[in-house]
Amino acid sequence: MNSWQRVAGVVLLIVAGVVIQQSLFVLRLFDQGQPGSGFMPFGLGILLAFLACLIIVTHRARDAKRVPFWPSRAWLRPLLAVIIMGVYIVAFDDLGAVTSVVILVTAWLLVLEKKRVWVAVFTGVSTGLVVYLVFERLLMTPFPRGLLF
Amino acid sequence: MLDFGGVLLGFQVAFNPVNLLWCFIGSVLGTAVGVLPGLGPAATIALLLPVSMKMGSPVTAIILMAGIFYGAMYGGSTTSILLNLPGEAASVVTCIDGYQMARKGRAGPALGVAAIGSFIAGTFGVVGMTVMAPPLAEFALKFGPPEYFSLTVLGLLLATYLAGDSPLKGLTMAVMGLILGSVGLDPLSGAVRFDFGVPDLQSNIDFVTIAMGLFGVGEILINLEQSEAASILTTKIKNVFPTLADLARSGWAMVRGALIGFVVGILPGGGAVLSSLISYAIEKKVSKHPEEFGHGAIEGVAGPEAANNSAASSSFIPLLTLGIPGNASTAMIFAALLIHGITPGPFLLKEHAPVFWGVIASMYIGNVMLLILNLPLVGMWAQLLRVPYAFMAPLVMILTLVGVYSVNNSVFDIWVMLAMGIFGYLARKLKFDLGPLLLAFVLGPIMERSLRQALLMSHGSFGIFVSPSRPISAVLMAVAILFVLGNLWAAYRAKQKAAAA
Repeated sequence: MNSWQRVAGVVLLIVAGVVIQQSLFVLRLFDQGQPGSGFMPFGLGILLAFLACLIIVTHRARDAKRVPFWPSRAWLRPLLAVIIMGVYIVAFDDLGAVTSVVILVTAWLLVLEKKRVWVAVFTGVSTGLVVYLVFERLLMTPFPRGLLF
Repeated sequence: MLDFGGVLLGFQVAFNPVNLLWCFIGSVLGTAVGVLPGLGPAATIALLLPVSMKMGSPVTAIILMAGIFYGAMYGGSTTSILLNLPGEAASVVTCIDGYQMARKGRAGPALGVAAIGSFIAGTFGVVGMTVMAPPLAEFALKFGPPEYFSLTVLGLLLATYLAGDSPLKGLTMAVMGLILGSVGLDPLSGAVRFDFGVPDLQSNIDFVTIAMGLFGVGEILINLEQSEAASILTTKIKNVFPTLADLARSGWAMVRGALIGFVVGILPGGGAVLSSLISYAIEKKVSKHPEEFGHGAIEGVAGPEAANNSAASSSFIPLLTLGIPGNASTAMIFAALLIHGITPGPFLLKEHAPVFWGVIASMYIGNVMLLILNLPLVGMWAQLLRVPYAFMAPLVMILTLVGVYSVNNSVFDIWVMLAMGIFGYLARKLKFDLGPLLLAFVLGPIMERSLRQALLMSHGSFGIFVSPSRPISAVLMAVAILFVLGNLWAAYRAKQKAAAA
């Protein structure tokens, strides 16, 4: 796991670099002699860079035993979930909130949980109905009206 | 001195039928959340933030969320005892002896002692809060910008060191939270920061988006890695009322747990988990039969369960009186108060006394409700464990996706939430604690505003934070510095010992 910790340290170092760059060249460290909008972010960027270096240094030892980040394709289900959610967000405006909910829940149960078609469809439609009743009717959330509903 | 007028006002507010109903709903939801592994109180409160915004009254919203928080402490013991699976992080320790008691056919008394201990300690915590909160709020009126900066620094340091396994990673997450909190408009100068040309980033990232992403989406993604565990509930629950002998053995453990939880709960980052661990360690040390621990010692259930409930109550003290949340759940409640236009802190008692006392009084009532829900009705909660996670996960996901949209009617917020969910998932994989990030996100604006105001007062001199003219700030800063140095020294000594061995 040490190698992955070092990767995390490098990513944090890059973030720190961006924060420092923005604070120095885009924002102002000082404004008429007083701390400006870039003052605290600059300090935080320096601190983050220091901590990132510490993470890299404290995890510099080679792993005694190689530990996979995702044992036995454990990444697959989270990735599928992220894809399903991404499709939901893209379809949200066009298909409408409630329709997108029905599709998301049905797809989730079919693809991720391998449930039977009728179970997935029934749960999806029921969830869509609950969302419509609770959020649109009760809480009056102005969902976008899409192609279908 | 006890403010009886305030307490009476509080009960008047809490006994309002609407508030009573939401207190009950919060207690039920909290218990359910505590029973079900995979969904903690912080995530649930995050999911309900959009709902709370639609509630007309802020005190009703806070009563609901407080109910969820301390309700989860009650419910968490159920799965710990029946399935050796902690329903909530603070109930991890209860697994050790609680499950062993269940295996010996004593699940009922274990559950009973857990519920009674939770009630006694929870009530003790609320009484302590009633007594301590007003004088602390009065004291906090003396706080100015230097004091608030020093307090937020100390609070974040304590939270990062005490809350997780790795202070280095905790501190890193805290700094990330502070940076995330600075995205958008600078509150003092109005300059736009870190928008990278994206118009939606010019207004600050919403707390609800961050919270639901990290704790809602992130939690589900982590749980998806495991294929559904077939946790078949086979334990039979007979007679939840403990015997007199059980009560005699566990009585003092409950008292000690209540005291430990109360003190530790006030500390930022202290909270329910740490207090339950400390309580277990102490019970084992003082027990006449320490060899029984790990094999079904009833004190090993009573003490930690009392501690976590007392801590849940006392963690409201710094939130309500100083405006400093000490853990992720109280950070959510802090945000909910801000959403309703109420700033937690020393002026809360003066300007919003019904909210202050109403929340405290509702906690007395909530503890009674929870005792009733958890003692005779524990069998009903155990049935919840039969609901497959396969159905819970998409429902929770829908709640997060729809809920975050309902806050600002912004699709961009949903994308940010998804991004935070992926970040939270990867951070957990790498064993980075997310609590400090959320705390820092909430405290960041207070910290920056206080820092810049203090430097304005001192014409740019950092000495104001340790100046004799600001003794409160100086003491807080000294405690923070000593705390860091103490931990560094302890780590150095541990490394030396390891090298010598």
